[in-house]
Amino acid sequence: MLMRRLVVCLDVDAGRVVKGTRFQRLREIGDPVVLAERYARQGADEIVLLDISATAAHRTPIHGAMAEVVRRAAERLWVPLTVGGGIRSVEDVDAALRAGADKVAINSAAVRRPAVLTEAATRFGAQCVVASIDARRAPVAAAGDAGPDPWRVVVRGGRTPTNLGAVDWARTCVGHGAGELLVTSIDADGTRGGYDLDLTRTIADAVTVPVVASGGAGSAADVCAVLQQGRADAALVAGIVHDGVETVSGLKRAMAAAGLPVRGWPATRPARAEVGPTP
Amino acid sequence: MSGPIVSGPARRPSRVVILDHGSGNIHSLAKGLRAAGAELRIESPSATALDADLIVLPGVGAFSAAAERLAAIRTRMRDALGRDVAALGICLGMQLLFEESEEGPGRGLGVLAGRVTRLGAARVPHMGWNAVERAQGSPWPGMGSDDPALARAGLVEAYFAHGYACRPTDPSCVTAWTSVAGDRFPSVVRAGSVVGTQFHPEKSGAPGLEFLRAVVDDVRPRVCRAAGSAWSAPR
Repeated sequence: MLMRRLVVCLDVDAGRVVKGTRFQRLREIGDPVVLAERYARQGADEIVLLDISATAAHRTPIHGAMAEVVRRAAERLWVPLTVGGGIRSVEDVDAALRAGADKVAINSAAVRRPAVLTEAATRFGAQCVVASIDARRAPVAAAGDAGPDPWRVVVRGGRTPTNLGAVDWARTCVGHGAGELLVTSIDADGTRGGYDLDLTRTIADAVTVPVVASGGAGSAADVCAVLQQGRADAALVAGIVHDGVETVSGLKRAMAAAGLPVRGWPATRPARAEVGPTP
Repeated sequence: MSGPIVSGPARRPSRVVILDHGSGNIHSLAKGLRAAGAELRIESPSATALDADLIVLPGVGAFSAAAERLAAIRTRMRDALGRDVAALGICLGMQLLFEESEEGPGRGLGVLAGRVTRLGAARVPHMGWNAVERAQGSPWPGMGSDDPALARAGLVEAYFAHGYACRPTDPSCVTAWTSVAGDRFPSVVRAGSVVGTQFHPEKSGAPGLEFLRAVVDDVRPRVCRAAGSAWSAPR
């Protein structure tokens, strides 16, 4: 049975891990490579490195400090590594893969030109193309009676709203070749008030590719809720593990205890002492 | 120096070549094979001499594009594998060991009989960690198995990222199975010295790395007969 994943995300700015609330008020957390390796050793099923300032700064993605971070992290990780932030073209995807990424998250560039998803999927395979969608619930007035898709896509690191409905956009991304969706609720991001279960479930039900839910994790119960009620394939966490509110191994133990199939915590076999992927 | 060497280092590292069929990410795999102790070369299929202990078909990209790149060496490759040169196919590389794929036109190597079809799961790609169940023997690490690499690695879970799966005509080549949403497909196949894995051992944590180490060690020449170039043939 396919297991549910716990994904740890490291937002990287100028080579350091930072974390904010609703994409604002960034605090510095630490060295991305050290943290990535630690989380992987604790049982993280996947690591995401996002260069959070690349799009806004119009910087070439995966260059300089970020490229170095990706290379060093890839050198030490034996679990999948997703890289994103400012990816604009198939050449950028290639650069990220060559730096050691296994999957590449594309966000603003796909909104500008959805064909970039198709080009990347054709060349590298859909399994390495992640469409990253940042969504915010539209004000009630704008959304009318809310309807089935009350969320709007926001691009450029939460700075620029669009008129795209998030659920529609999710379907479009899959139609263009994305092999996975990373769905972040900006409303919930950094609040620790729980994931946006409605957003996650609505998108998970609307598409046929795996959905990674992001934004709002405050506890192990939140993580279990988004995997169960939210029907996500994977839950992404950041702040709660950076700040030690929860540990990666504690979250996975809670997922297993909730009856979810989890790597390293087989429900039908005695738990192994070590789940660490670091040789 | 002349004459046979009867003492000294009896074994050199396994010589491994990755056939880079142009689809990009072989970084993880190269890193994994080096960590597993391989002496590694990365070559384009058209330029390779196929003179390694182990030939690795990597796992990213689309079937047709990869089959096209392999076409030039298909016959040489089949001959080499027929002479018991070892091969490891990972993900798409495993699929290329078979005859053809529903994913698109082109001929696989046809080392194994059967074809590749789309997974019957509701969510495709099948992406994430899943159980690897040995075809025979005990599912428990260290308690015996028909697949020596799986047994040595204690690998019971692995990372998958694929939309298609191999359907061998003769399932006796299957040493492990994996299921997703009711579709049971081979996650490891073996035929002589040819191994295929649908999962990515290089992304499957410490057990995945151990699996690679087992495959790489298995092709390592046992005896050094003479100085210089006259290495014994791989067994």
